Amino acid sequence: MGRLIDRDGLGRFSAGSRLFATGAAQSSYNLAYDWAASVVGPGVELVAAGELAPDTLCVVVSLVGSTTALGEQLPAGDEPERAVRALERRLGERAGAVAALNLAAENALIPLIAAAGLGLPLVDGDGTGRVFPLVEQTTYTLGGMSAAPLALAGGLGELVLLETAADRVEELLRPVVLSVGGWAVAACYPMAARDLARVLVPGTVSLLMRAGEPGAPRSAAAPYGVRTLCRGRIQAVEGSTGHGGELALPSLPSSIVLRESEGLRRLVRLEAHNEIVLALADGAVVATVPDQICMVSTADGMVVDVDKAEPGLEVDIMVVRAAPVWHTDQGLALGGPRAFGITL
Amino acid sequence: MILGVALGESAPAVVAVRDGAASWPVPRGVARTASRACVAADLGGVRPAAVAAIRVGGPCPEALRPVVEPGVATIVRGGHSVTGRPLAPLDTEAVRRFAATCGLADFAVTATGSPMLADHELEVAAIVAAEVPQARITLSYEFGYPGLREREADAIRNAALGPEAGRIADDVARELPGVPAYFARTGGGLVSAHYFRRFPLTCDRGAAASLARGRAALRERADAASGGGGDAGPGLAEVPDGVAAAYGAALGRPEAHVERIVLARGRAELDRVLRDARDEALTRVVSAGAAPGSAAIDEITVNPLSYLPDGLYRVRVTAGGRPWAG
Repeated sequence: MGRLIDRDGLGRFSAGSRLFATGAAQSSYNLAYDWAASVVGPGVELVAAGELAPDTLCVVVSLVGSTTALGEQLPAGDEPERAVRALERRLGERAGAVAALNLAAENALIPLIAAAGLGLPLVDGDGTGRVFPLVEQTTYTLGGMSAAPLALAGGLGELVLLETAADRVEELLRPVVLSVGGWAVAACYPMAARDLARVLVPGTVSLLMRAGEPGAPRSAAAPYGVRTLCRGRIQAVEGSTGHGGELALPSLPSSIVLRESEGLRRLVRLEAHNEIVLALADGAVVATVPDQICMVSTADGMVVDVDKAEPGLEVDIMVVRAAPVWHTDQGLALGGPRAFGITL
Repeated sequence: MILGVALGESAPAVVAVRDGAASWPVPRGVARTASRACVAADLGGVRPAAVAAIRVGGPCPEALRPVVEPGVATIVRGGHSVTGRPLAPLDTEAVRRFAATCGLADFAVTATGSPMLADHELEVAAIVAAEVPQARITLSYEFGYPGLREREADAIRNAALGPEAGRIADDVARELPGVPAYFARTGGGLVSAHYFRRFPLTCDRGAAASLARGRAALRERADAASGGGGDAGPGLAEVPDGVAAAYGAALGRPEAHVERIVLARGRAELDRVLRDARDEALTRVVSAGAAPGSAAIDEITVNPLSYLPDGLYRVRVTAGGRPWAG
């Protein structure tokens, strides 16, 4: 115990949280960072789930919806606290710690802001080890925990409590998020510390803080390994009208076509649906979810969001290996290609 | 003959460009016969004017409030979500009060959701113009990208550069009477003096962009000349930075960008909104000094926005053309 995330730690944590973060709009990251810096005070305590008393109520806090929407429609500032308080009221119990859903950019910082505002410790770990589009796509779900009851706080003072079967949370959540402007802060996956210790990907907060130190290699943010698929220049970005399937995923799919800059000069095609779900090189599958596929700009080393991809940009295609639990049958069913409507 | 001018801390560097070849010095009498003057300036050192910043949106944490230095800022109720839904009616009375009492003439207006729907920014502009007839007003939707604070910072900087940009354009017009003037953009390309006065931010680092362009062109000419056995002209090392930037500016052509968030359900509607964005980019590049018949779309990028409803896209259009002058 006794490790603190202070202003200096926040700098390293946020730098580390961006190394493989996709879907993170620059402006929402900037505001999450400025917001966190203004509330972190003397520091937020970082604890391992196993260090908490086993009965401690832990609450997962996350941004849900669109980072573009958050960057445009700013938070009032009380959303994380309101969401957690609402969940506490529903459960009739005070939360003793805050945990993250995932640790990509603003999703790493919102739980920290919540912990600072509530005066609670932040748990060292998260529920994905990477990012998936759906609130249900977590190791918490794989471990048998439910995202519901879930409390949602919107930027205009809205407060919504969802109570439903574990596999219907996203379905109910999405229209609500859209109706409050495209983003909200969720407090969900209420569970005892003993359960959290069993189902989280452990140690990822401190891992990213180390990876965010100046001079640390990018691979330090990928505990299960990372490989560079190729370096290529984006030739075209194509929208599509969907795979034709009945898919419960927000937003439309798109394809990004690249020509490899060196070597075999292969034609590389990335199929994206909020996140990149599949990479093909000359027609052969070279990477898929649940591993995380991301484009890193060769010009500035920043991850290029799917909705910022444009012709002419040169990128390294990097594949971050997902935590082992994602490669089990159950993990693949929840976060593998089939979950994104792709049958291989 | 096209005149290239690089403004610096000392006397401006001036080159005359004929058929792509630069010569200098340029006597004043000759300079005044140029078909157009292309000016490269860096506005980084310009003293910013005090700005009255109006943000339209909800309350936010102190750390996320508008930053104006120097100047004053206010947040008034109103704005739209990125999906185009009104967040609150515009507090017109608060706008009127602020405009009437701030005592400033350079305004920057940024409404939540304006890349999607600019109605509230336009309404604020009308109120400000009625209260402060001499007001110069920058509306953030003209920049068009999502990210309220970044767009607001750019709108504020644009407003802050306005008075000094006007003085620079006046100086150029006085020195070169009758010669149409263009200014070098930050990302390459040119805009008309009229456009520069309204959107000086687009030329914030015009000299640096022109310098890069000029150096590259000089290198190409030197390579071509040495390959072809012709006159290599002055060596690269001999050309000072001001002279290279002036040359680079003279090689530019008008360029303009439009960025928007659009809502389009289905292909036909998307085609229609893209046509609108294209038309706007063409209009804008003509306003930036392109000959109307020469204006053409260089590039369109359309990306669906992640984690938002089907049919929301980020659209970016680049248009270019031949300068109408010369």
